[in-house]
Amino acid sequence: MTSIDVHEADGGVVLAPSGRLTVVTAPQLRSAVAERITAGDRIIIVDLSGTDFVDSSGLGALVSCLKSARQAGGDLRIVAPTEQVSMVLKMTNLDRILQPRASVADALRD
Amino acid sequence: MNDPVQRVVIVPATIESIDVVQEEFADWWYEVGEPNVATRFKFETAVVEIATNIVEHTHRAEGSSGRGYSLELVADATTITAVFSDNGKPADIDLSTVTMADVDNESGRGLALAIAALDSLDYRRANGRNIWTLVCKR
Repeated sequence: MTSIDVHEADGGVVLAPSGRLTVVTAPQLRSAVAERITAGDRIIIVDLSGTDFVDSSGLGALVSCLKSARQAGGDLRIVAPTEQVSMVLKMTNLDRILQPRASVADALRD
Repeated sequence: MNDPVQRVVIVPATIESIDVVQEEFADWWYEVGEPNVATRFKFETAVVEIATNIVEHTHRAEGSSGRGYSLELVADATTITAVFSDNGKPADIDLSTVTMADVDNESGRGLALAIAALDSLDYRRANGRNIWTLVCKR
């Protein structure tokens, strides 16, 4: 089962889903991000360094969260995707709108 | 020549079944001993997409009706194959018309991703069952 670690950072909030982000767990990411936007966070960092696997449902959740963050005047940035995640981002062209940053610090700087 | 490495998984058509499929896939893949991780990532991605498609189609068409599906995984010296079979209603799908969703869309990537990841994906209806055949060359 995926767990999502959430912690504050200087200038944003970092959500780090571990394990698999699929149809089983994507709703957890959607609601965790929605909660943080409601709480006033605007820069949402999704740290994917511990996410082993993402499917189209997980990708859909990332797109949805990106839209929500932008509609609230903020942004969503992804960090350090693992090999399978990088592969599906490329195959779906989503690396164009979800350009991976190397580290949380890089993502906060943009 | 090594014998083919085979595994059969039978699960109810529930969202949670995707986790079971991935656990079984991981065990089977270990047994297969394929060293190319790119092959694993592509094949596992396609397997998860088709399993999700079956589960979601079953729920849309019939609600939670106690349906299930089976997955047979087979690896031989040259080919890795997965065959899904379910007794749900016919899937109204023409794979030749599937395209990747635009980047702004939140859905519509599953089948396109599976097709892109595999050497071949086939859907047919036989003996009252939906049969999906996924093939990757090693």
